[in-house]
Amino acid sequence: MKKMTVSNLFQFYRTAIAIGIALLLGYIIILFTRYPSDPASFMEGMKTAFHEANEAFQFFILGPLVRWRRGVAEFNESGFAQWMNETTPLIITGLAISLVFSAKQFNIGAEGQLFIGAVAATFAAVHFPQIPFLHPIVVIIVAMIAGASWAVVPGIMKAKLHASELVTSLMMNYVALFMGLFMIKTFIRDTTAGSLVSLPFAPTSRLILINERYRLHIGIIIAVVSAFIVWWILKRTTWGYRVRLVGDNEQFAQYSGIRTRNTIFQVQVVSGAVAGMAGTIELIGYHGRFLWLFSPGYGWDGIIIATLARNNPLFVLLAAFFFSYIRVGAKIMGRNTDIPPEIVSILQAAIILLVTAEAFLSRWKQRSIEKNARRMEDTPKAEVQL
Amino acid sequence: MNDTLRGILSWDFVAQIIRVTTPIMLSALGALVASLAGTPNIALEGTMLMSAFVGVIVSGFTANLWVALVAGIATGVTMALILAYFSLKMKTDIILAAIALNIFASGGTIFFLATLTGDKGSSASVHSLVFPNIHIPIIQDIPILGKILSGHHLITYIAIILIFVIGYMLYRTPLGLRIRAVGENPHAAESVGISVHKTQTIALVISGAMASLGGLFLSMGYVSWFSRDMTAGRGFIALAAQALGGASAIGVALGSFLFGFAEALSYSLQFFHIPYEVTQSFPFLITIGVLAVYAYLKLPHVRKRRTGGINVSKR
Repeated sequence: MKKMTVSNLFQFYRTAIAIGIALLLGYIIILFTRYPSDPASFMEGMKTAFHEANEAFQFFILGPLVRWRRGVAEFNESGFAQWMNETTPLIITGLAISLVFSAKQFNIGAEGQLFIGAVAATFAAVHFPQIPFLHPIVVIIVAMIAGASWAVVPGIMKAKLHASELVTSLMMNYVALFMGLFMIKTFIRDTTAGSLVSLPFAPTSRLILINERYRLHIGIIIAVVSAFIVWWILKRTTWGYRVRLVGDNEQFAQYSGIRTRNTIFQVQVVSGAVAGMAGTIELIGYHGRFLWLFSPGYGWDGIIIATLARNNPLFVLLAAFFFSYIRVGAKIMGRNTDIPPEIVSILQAAIILLVTAEAFLSRWKQRSIEKNARRMEDTPKAEVQL
Repeated sequence: MNDTLRGILSWDFVAQIIRVTTPIMLSALGALVASLAGTPNIALEGTMLMSAFVGVIVSGFTANLWVALVAGIATGVTMALILAYFSLKMKTDIILAAIALNIFASGGTIFFLATLTGDKGSSASVHSLVFPNIHIPIIQDIPILGKILSGHHLITYIAIILIFVIGYMLYRTPLGLRIRAVGENPHAAESVGISVHKTQTIALVISGAMASLGGLFLSMGYVSWFSRDMTAGRGFIALAAQALGGASAIGVALGSFLFGFAEALSYSLQFFHIPYEVTQSFPFLITIGVLAVYAYLKLPHVRKRRTGGINVSKR
């Protein structure tokens, strides 16, 4: 195990402090909304506010794991299942974005890729011959191919024409949304249902459930395994090394004989394939039919997750589990109090802003580096890594 | 089908296009200023949403249209300043900071809406005011021209004036020159004494103010309420319209009209039960095509610069 460098330690502290500040901010906002409209006195009002805020915060922080029945705390199975299910797409889009970010490509097309992937998968889930075990695998592969082909357009435009992948991938998201809805509506709509949904998926296409009652499906296992695979590809294969080298210094990579444009194209397509799975797994695992009228937003979440994880697939796991934990916590709080669960987006925004702010706490970092350097001068033999 | 055609070819349809183009165009002009300064503002979506929300709430509580207008614009400027502070001073990646602001706006408006009004869907319970339509005295009586030129919304007229103001500002004033210089090459601009951060902050503030007008139009134009996620991606569409229109204000306005046309058409087709999604995706496909052509035309130029050994990296 490598010794933690000052830099890494600093990242760790900064993330922890950012999360701390965000939680504090959330608590203060809740406190404000809990202040009664006609308190007997200011102190009385504050007392009620603190009491209610503490109660709400308990649901928020512990909700996904603990529930109280007649005052006795017990394991919250439904909360846990929801947590796992909601983590799944976040991990997968986080991985997809980590891949492109590793090559310093700012691709925000995961949203469209997962949408079109899910649309294509819907056709496979409804119409493909119903062969047990093979069916979900085919569905996922179809989704991956659709996602990858969606990534080809910005990929080619970036690699061949140097067009900004930021704008083109954004455009492709909308094309995916409109085209996808059109396909669902025209070819595979369930006309007996009141709202715009697809025909129900064939039972053989569904993922195995770990917990029947709360519909906890094996998607989370697929996602975790994918994280290790992507980690292995990025950190342990030549291709992954090429991708990272292009990301670190494109010109250097070019001079050392890497065909950078090819690599950029390839990593975009691979990322599209990964993103294609994200929505599909939720559909075949949980919902059992296509029911999105809008983009579900997991692509944007993936950007946050990858950023928090600093593009390390294993940290993506941590970041995704953390983010969906506070989301599920906020929903559980929303069910038990009248605090809107959307408060969690304020916390998320604060976390992203602080974690990505390079200058945040940088003075502290500078000082600790200087301190280490001085220590190194004093004891020449000590091994201090910067 | 004849009915459809008649519906599409009517003057009401033209008015409809102008109506749906207005918010897109305002934000797209803002996007233009920001992107020329080298600080692409992806937070336009969130800015529109926040301003739309604040405008309705303030007008509901103060019953004063102009206070609401000022509050709405101040909201947009604040969002822009936050973006500028984090991206320029705190060295946050500007795209990530903007994504954070969008997330904040999307959830934050719902949170505060529910906290203030008790309703999570819309602000129907708040009695909000709307900005007036303007009827131009003599012109409105001219048969066809009157329908096209008169009777639009106050903010629509402001938007049309702003096309020329922004165009003039960018290409005919020292500020515009500074903005373009900073965007083209910040180091060169700095070496001749232009403050890069200050110029980029100004550009972001202008873009924020423009987007907030677009947001106010949505919630206080033809409707008098705010509903959750009511911008529905218009801030992003504005980015597309800007990409389509290139570097000129007129071009951006035309680009916005294309998106406005597609949106208006989709409403008409929806009315006649014709799948409208396909037509709605056309402007995006056209934008991709146009971007590809732009990029292709730039290629030899880029190659020349590359072999010249000068590192002109642009994102």
